[in-house]
Amino acid sequence: MVVLAASIVSKSGKVLVSRQFVDMTRIRIEGLLAAFPKLVGTGKQHTYVETENVRYVYQPIEALYLLLVTNKNSNILEDLETLRLLSKLEGSGGFKIDHMVPEYSYSLDEEGICKHAFELIFAFDEVIALGHKENVTVAQVKQYCEMESHEEKLHKLVLQSKINETKDVMKRKASEIDKSKIEKNRGDKGGFGPLQSMGSGRIENSFSDLSISSSGTGFGSGSGFGLTSDVDSFSTKPKGRPTSSATAPPKGLGMKLGKSQRTNQFLESLKAEGEVILEDVQPKLTQSRAAAAPLTDPITLTVEEKLNVTLKRDGGVSNFDVQGTLSLQILNQEDGHIQVQVQTGDNQAISFKTHPNMNKELFANEYILGLKDPNRPFPTGQASDAGGVGLLKWRMQSTDESMVPLTINCWPSSSGNETYVSIEYEASTMFDLRNVLISVPLPALREAPSVRQIDGEWRYDSRNSILEWSVLLIDNSNRSGSMEFVVPLADSSAFFPISVRFMATDTFSDLKVTNVIPLKGGNPPKFAQRTQLITDNYEVV
Amino acid sequence: MEKSCTLVVHFDKGTPALANEIKEALEGNDVAAKIDALKKAIMLLLNGETIPQLFITIIRYVLPSEDHTVQKLLLLYLEIIDKTDSRGKVLPEMILICQNLRNNLQHPNEYIRGVTLRFLCRLNESEIIEPLIPSILSNLEHRHPFVRRNAVLAVMSVFKLPQGEQLLDSAPEIVDKFLSTEQDPSSKRNAFLMLFSCAQDRAINYLFSNIDRIIDWGEQLQMVVLELIRKVCRSNKGEKGKYIKIIIALLNAPSTAVIYECASTLVSLSSAPTAIRAAASTYCQLLLSQSDNNVKLIVLDRLNELKSSNRDIMVEMVMDVLRALSTPNLDIRRKTLDIALELITPRNIDEVVMMLKKEVVKTQSGEHEKNGEYRQMLVQAIHTCAIKFPEVASTVVHLLMDFLGDSNVASAMDVVVFVREIIETNPKLRISIITRLLDTFYQIRAARVCSCALWIIGEYCLSLSEVESGIATIKQCLDGTYATQSAALETAMSPPTLVQGSLSSIGNLRSLILSGDFFLGAVVACTLTKLVLRLEEVQTSKAEVNKATTQALLIIVSMLQLGQSSILPHPIDNDSYDRIVLCIRLLCNTGDEIRKIWLQSCRQSFVKMLADKQRRETEEIKAKAQISNAQPDDLIDFYHLKSRKGMSQLELEDEVQDDLKRATGEFTKDADDANKLNRILQLTGFSDPVYAEAYVTVHHYDIVLDVTVINRTKETLQNLCLELATMGDLKLVERPQNYTLAPESSKQIKANIKVSSTETGVIFGNIVYETSSNVLERTVIVLNDIHIDIMDYISPASCADVAFRTMWAEFEWENKVAVNTVLQDERDFLNHIIKSTNMKCLTPPSALEGDCGFLAANLYAKSVFGEDALVNVSIEKQADGKLSGYIRIRSKTQGIALSLGDKITLKQKGTA
Repeated sequence: MVVLAASIVSKSGKVLVSRQFVDMTRIRIEGLLAAFPKLVGTGKQHTYVETENVRYVYQPIEALYLLLVTNKNSNILEDLETLRLLSKLEGSGGFKIDHMVPEYSYSLDEEGICKHAFELIFAFDEVIALGHKENVTVAQVKQYCEMESHEEKLHKLVLQSKINETKDVMKRKASEIDKSKIEKNRGDKGGFGPLQSMGSGRIENSFSDLSISSSGTGFGSGSGFGLTSDVDSFSTKPKGRPTSSATAPPKGLGMKLGKSQRTNQFLESLKAEGEVILEDVQPKLTQSRAAAAPLTDPITLTVEEKLNVTLKRDGGVSNFDVQGTLSLQILNQEDGHIQVQVQTGDNQAISFKTHPNMNKELFANEYILGLKDPNRPFPTGQASDAGGVGLLKWRMQSTDESMVPLTINCWPSSSGNETYVSIEYEASTMFDLRNVLISVPLPALREAPSVRQIDGEWRYDSRNSILEWSVLLIDNSNRSGSMEFVVPLADSSAFFPISVRFMATDTFSDLKVTNVIPLKGGNPPKFAQRTQLITDNYEVV
Repeated sequence: MEKSCTLVVHFDKGTPALANEIKEALEGNDVAAKIDALKKAIMLLLNGETIPQLFITIIRYVLPSEDHTVQKLLLLYLEIIDKTDSRGKVLPEMILICQNLRNNLQHPNEYIRGVTLRFLCRLNESEIIEPLIPSILSNLEHRHPFVRRNAVLAVMSVFKLPQGEQLLDSAPEIVDKFLSTEQDPSSKRNAFLMLFSCAQDRAINYLFSNIDRIIDWGEQLQMVVLELIRKVCRSNKGEKGKYIKIIIALLNAPSTAVIYECASTLVSLSSAPTAIRAAASTYCQLLLSQSDNNVKLIVLDRLNELKSSNRDIMVEMVMDVLRALSTPNLDIRRKTLDIALELITPRNIDEVVMMLKKEVVKTQSGEHEKNGEYRQMLVQAIHTCAIKFPEVASTVVHLLMDFLGDSNVASAMDVVVFVREIIETNPKLRISIITRLLDTFYQIRAARVCSCALWIIGEYCLSLSEVESGIATIKQCLDGTYATQSAALETAMSPPTLVQGSLSSIGNLRSLILSGDFFLGAVVACTLTKLVLRLEEVQTSKAEVNKATTQALLIIVSMLQLGQSSILPHPIDNDSYDRIVLCIRLLCNTGDEIRKIWLQSCRQSFVKMLADKQRRETEEIKAKAQISNAQPDDLIDFYHLKSRKGMSQLELEDEVQDDLKRATGEFTKDADDANKLNRILQLTGFSDPVYAEAYVTVHHYDIVLDVTVINRTKETLQNLCLELATMGDLKLVERPQNYTLAPESSKQIKANIKVSSTETGVIFGNIVYETSSNVLERTVIVLNDIHIDIMDYISPASCADVAFRTMWAEFEWENKVAVNTVLQDERDFLNHIIKSTNMKCLTPPSALEGDCGFLAANLYAKSVFGEDALVNVSIEKQADGKLSGYIRIRSKTQGIALSLGDKITLKQKGTA
């Protein structure tokens, strides 16, 4: 049931086009095709020839033969069907051809076939896959060969509108820059200066390519951009799965170069091209990396508090829960005989609990953590989970709104066909928050929402239809901030629950390790201390 | 391993495109020009150029193009370029295309995705594929079936790569899942195909879990199911039972292709009578229901195979097979009759003959142009039946005798030959046949038929009444000849009108003779003589005998007169004259001895001829039977132990694969090693700076030259090139490459040459090189010519006598070679010619027996290209013991006639 090749030869034996569907050498196929015209007799009323090894099924078309070369066990009924389909294709005036070169009337002679050899090959490919007949009709083959894709058109439209939008923004900003330059006559580093500097080298080029060219080549340059950056990533780690590596470099580059919104938007539009750029992995990355960073110090003590907070959208706290742990990780067995001296803040709401193996009294009296049996060492090694051995746990619950490190206020308001959403955050002065990421769910949109105003950066994850607002650091300079965006008319409940992620280096308990006491004498060993507050589940509902 | 070739496009050498022109167009922005340039680049590549400098241009300027045609052509380009270096490692720059492929796999246009996935099916380099695997897998979930079906194929191809299981170890699982949710019939088929070839167990599982729905599946999927069943059952015969049910179910499928496949699957799985019967009746149904001649012919082939393997079952089907006679196509009718004739048994013979008779009658009414030929076929068929089962002869012979006057001479000839044989073998029928023949004799129109009929009359009119009416019939047909001499002359004066106008009205025999056929005249004379001699035996009245004798003499003399008169353009030939005169002498002077010769020996010769024919046939049957059986001391070939180059165990077990392998030319029979050495040709002299010898392998359609080149100097030879040129229908496949040869080192160079017809070809060549001391000057060594022998391309074949004669008359080219040999014996010479030309002697050995100093024989062979080669040897032994005569070669093409002639001239001396 295998077609070895589909070919067109002239009656004089010249091979015009042949497409092979199984592996065979050139000399073999040429030999088979050269033998064919001699085997075809005249005056026969059937159109197949068998030799010792192969069967030719053919159809004379004017001065040509259209033929299939099959093995002898091949199913003749199916092969004839295939041949009929091919001949219809061939005779139907060419699929792509009239669409592509209308001035050529497609004639069924040597010249015509030679001229359209490649189009014929494309059509052959549609009918026969790996030697097996595909279940297609003439119309389908034509459609496949024309390659008119609705999705692509849509995609191009989206891309075009993005480009236009980007261009508009660029123009507006450029004029703003000019204005501000004239007014203030100074180049503020927080201003829009980076526009000029950001595109040093190829990004600049491809960016301008993209915006200048119309829909025609713009997309192509876009993929060219992807290529150049990807070659780098290949050379550095050729085995890497490119899904993440291919996307990371341009994003990182963009971020470094001045955190401009336009870079972000530009990337957005690139991303919308397809799935080349996947998720913005930046915040997650830093977080997980901090936790999973390899340990180099012989003794590491980690203080970690996880925050589970549920805020109500109309204000108020429905749930506030802090869970803290102190864990110890020891690399080498010989460092196992130690005790840990800690110091806590004066937060009375917190109750501490030691591990059952700990000497409770020692802790209650002297804030020293040691094993009940002083002769036993602490377990060692990195093999245990990244957190090491838990020594101490604590918990804090509250309904006091002042304890909440970050509150979010979200105001959707509808007007006409659009819904304006303004969000503001307010951070308590207790902590400096890092890598703040506020994810607002949106109703399913075709295009990214238009963001009117923002403190920080945004990106739109079209797959999950989430608008992500990120602020790298919230400290005393920006304890509050806001953002406003517009989407087509939507119910206000569509924007909840908003989830928030951040981390901080201070904790509620303010627990600190002051000293590590060796039990077997000698100098106090070196130790490293890590302290972090992270969000576990922080939502506005 | 030689590179496989995926496409061939005719390349017009008249307008070669230059690499830099192409480059320029590729760099430009004009899409149409780009497409054109890319096409040209592909054609150049296909034609053997390498143009490596284009690659980077294409990466830079073509890769980013958005045009769909450009992208598709780009894939073709990537398909045919060399992706590996000489050691088989992937070229580092290939990594550049990966990103493009990945973008294509994620392209919003589903067709771009699809064609890219299809391209990946043809890619063998796992290094390029590896980074693309996630994208391939994600395409399995694409919305559009076009993408999904190609994605499954890509997964299959990746998994089938040598390292496929590491690249995609979960592929079967993924595809299994995919299959369970997929709706598109094509994607489903491809997924099943993937499981079938990569994870058979899963395919079987799927099959059995969906067993109720099989009948509703798409045609393509059903085909793969059947293929799977065949494969499973081949490797595990015990499983058969589980599948037969499925096949039976599929026999009711709407698609005829599936039904056909079912039937052949049944045959391959089982030899149980029920299965075979089901398959055979399926074939018969297809035979009737399909209007396409190709299908009918191939189905008949299948039935023919069934006939040889399961004759007893096919015997029951003979009437169904015969229904195919309703097709007007002669090839089909012939094949049908051939099959049916081998299936006749005493039980069905009556039915078969009845059917054939009906068909014969039909040919009378229809005005179809091929009716004559068809009738001839039927007559021959009935003839065969009648010989096998003489009792049917009585039922048909009379019907057939109506066709003695058929305007189709061949058909009438067949009838008369049939009658002649039946009348001898069936003595019971003699009287009725003779009566009938005498009644219809006047209708006969052809001279050959007429003479044969006359012979029958002469031999088999035995009783008094028969002899008398025999003489009367002949007399009647020659009416007028015995009246007066002047009357004969008178009528002979206007022969043209007579010949044309009186064909049906007046006795036909007469007009034939009047037109100058004196051989027929001689036959008439002999017949009359015989009849008169017999009359002498049966007629008691002497007066009656004398009367008849004088009448006969008058007729005979009149014919002689006619032959000697000046009215006819040609006078009577000597042979006929002698014969007629002999008849006159006999009639005037009868004797017992002569009577014995005329009345008995003649018949005896005929009986002997029939017996000989019978004997030959039985011998042939015996020979056939012997071929199929192994000799007691024969070596047994263990199929599984046979050497098959580079095939895995699984493929060894797979006959279907074998079929495919043969078709793609992967099978090459391991030739005898000793034979190999005979084929070594020395190309240069021992004292030449470069010694070269070639070992020539001749395959079907190609010649491979393995040339060993040895540098005999103390210098390094640079840019050494083996340049070959050909004469005749030979063509070089690749361009020669340049090599550097260190001092006293050697190199193996392979050259492929394509052969397209059976003609003696010559390959010339040079070895060209530069030495390191003298770079500018190229040194040329001319090689010995390599002659390609026609004998490698022709093989003995046989054809029917009639076919040989027709071809002999048709073919345009004749080469006449005068015999010039030292051999003294005719048969030795013939054998020598047969041996040296590799042809088959069509003339039966019995015809060559005896020592008469003359010999004539026909030889026949066919070339692998399907050309016929005919040879006729006619020799005579001279008085001095030498042989003289001619060997004539005829063929459709000049090549064979010339080459074979050369060959014979060269070999005929034959001292060895």
